[in-house]
Amino acid sequence: MIGVVLKREMQALFRSPFAWCVLAAVQFLIAYQFLAQIDIFLQYLPKIRRLAEPPGVAQLVIAPTFHITGFLLLFLIPVLTMQSFSGERRAGTLPLWYSAPITLRALVLGKFLGVMSLLGLIWGLNALMPLTLLWGTELDLGTYASGLLGLLLLMTTGTALGLWYSALTAQPAIAAIATFATLLCLWLIDWASQLEKDPGLLSQLSMLTHFQNLTRGLVDTFDVAYFVLLTCAALALTVWALAGERRAF
Amino acid sequence: MSPLPLLCAQGLSRRFGARVAVAELSLTLQRGEVLGLLGLNGAGKSTTLQMLAGVLAPHTGQIALNGHDLARAPLAAKRHLGYLPEIPPLFKEATVDEFLAFCARLHEVPRAAVGALVERAKARCNLGAVGARLIRNLSKGFQQRVGLAQAIVHEPAVLILDEPTVGLDPAQIQEVRELIRALSAEQAILLSTHLLSEAENLCSRVVILHQGRLVYDQPIAGQRQHMLLRLRQPPPLAVLQNLLETTDIHEVAGGHFEFATPTEPAALERVVAAAVGHAWGLFELSPSGSMLERTFLDLTREYRASGDAG
Repeated sequence: MIGVVLKREMQALFRSPFAWCVLAAVQFLIAYQFLAQIDIFLQYLPKIRRLAEPPGVAQLVIAPTFHITGFLLLFLIPVLTMQSFSGERRAGTLPLWYSAPITLRALVLGKFLGVMSLLGLIWGLNALMPLTLLWGTELDLGTYASGLLGLLLLMTTGTALGLWYSALTAQPAIAAIATFATLLCLWLIDWASQLEKDPGLLSQLSMLTHFQNLTRGLVDTFDVAYFVLLTCAALALTVWALAGERRAF
Repeated sequence: MSPLPLLCAQGLSRRFGARVAVAELSLTLQRGEVLGLLGLNGAGKSTTLQMLAGVLAPHTGQIALNGHDLARAPLAAKRHLGYLPEIPPLFKEATVDEFLAFCARLHEVPRAAVGALVERAKARCNLGAVGARLIRNLSKGFQQRVGLAQAIVHEPAVLILDEPTVGLDPAQIQEVRELIRALSAEQAILLSTHLLSEAENLCSRVVILHQGRLVYDQPIAGQRQHMLLRLRQPPPLAVLQNLLETTDIHEVAGGHFEFATPTEPAALERVVAAAVGHAWGLFELSPSGSMLERTFLDLTREYRASGDAG
């Protein structure tokens, strides 16, 4: 049943020019950043060579590029998820799902994977770009893989949160703004405490902190658990919100 | 013993905040039956249908579809259900063929059987020529028929249709009515409508909802047209009763009588002959609207009167 939902979501997504415009724009921005980072790296190369343990391209080119992609996702994910349920609620198509023999869990997972299919393409392009560096230099594949994991986890968390807001309202714009505000808030929550010696709780809540650890090549269970827990919680809340629409209070 | 009803609802209630939309409603629906749900706007028709289709949970009461409890075994129950809401739920960026195939898959039709069922549903709803077109570009009448095709594509045992003929032109209404009649041989159909003539035409049984309560539940077969008789010099009521061989006749005003249309035309002939013979001054003998219309207006009069006053 998840497959039926996923197929329908992908049809709806990839048939419109919207998905392709998003892919083109995002790819252009990321590629430009990638080239800019390489340019900076080349300018600093003579100085870097003099260091005892010189950082490689993984730290100086790939990590900042992933960072930019992560930041772009904060804007992109709300636009991709806003229609998921609120658009259908507006068009009056939710009864089609509700009267069919399908569980809410399968419906939510299908929609989640549908959005992830487009984000997955962006992820894949992000994964391919740094590999071109292998022609000219050595690449720390561990840091690279850990950064990719970070991007993937950021995508699942954002998508799950976006679906939840979309399940709560009939206005796609409200869902988008709420998702964006929440993601930005989680990203910047420890902005003020970064200068302090002991950042404490706020930094533990910050998405940026956990994401940065991963792009630096530090795969800590705690960082991974942060994203996985947020994703699962948001998906569960989505199912709960949809069930609440039918429930009798 | 009567066979197990395909749809059985008991003691359904639903509130929205403090407002009671449906109260203590019980319904059963047998195979081969077409049940019409009538009521004024806001009587709770759509809420009732939404609860029966599993779109809305009732506060109290149980619903069983083909013997499966909708609350405890929702997937098993919904397998036997086809539902057309008030606004047809269509994915407008899909073509008719794609959409119907998706609906069939959503209702667990095996992949190999989808093609044949989609063709069958399209033929039944007269959609053969528009299979490759985007739903967005179809006229309202066609979209309504795609909505209907969506409800029947998986050949469910119970069909719930919320105002299935809204937005159709008279020729299309006729087609949809014929389709519903054809479907009723195999399936149990529950439809809501605000057209009394439609209910009389199509349904084997009619229930009337008023302010969320079921106030009337009768087979249509017992419903007969009423007739109006107006005379300038009327005889005593007993004379007319004798001629018509019925006591179901009453004088609405001086010389203005109403009675259920007799089953034999001979009774009417006798009245006309007597009226001419005794110079009663017959100046009108006409059908006066259906019994259903009368019942409906009587049952909802109180509300309409208060509405007029307000």
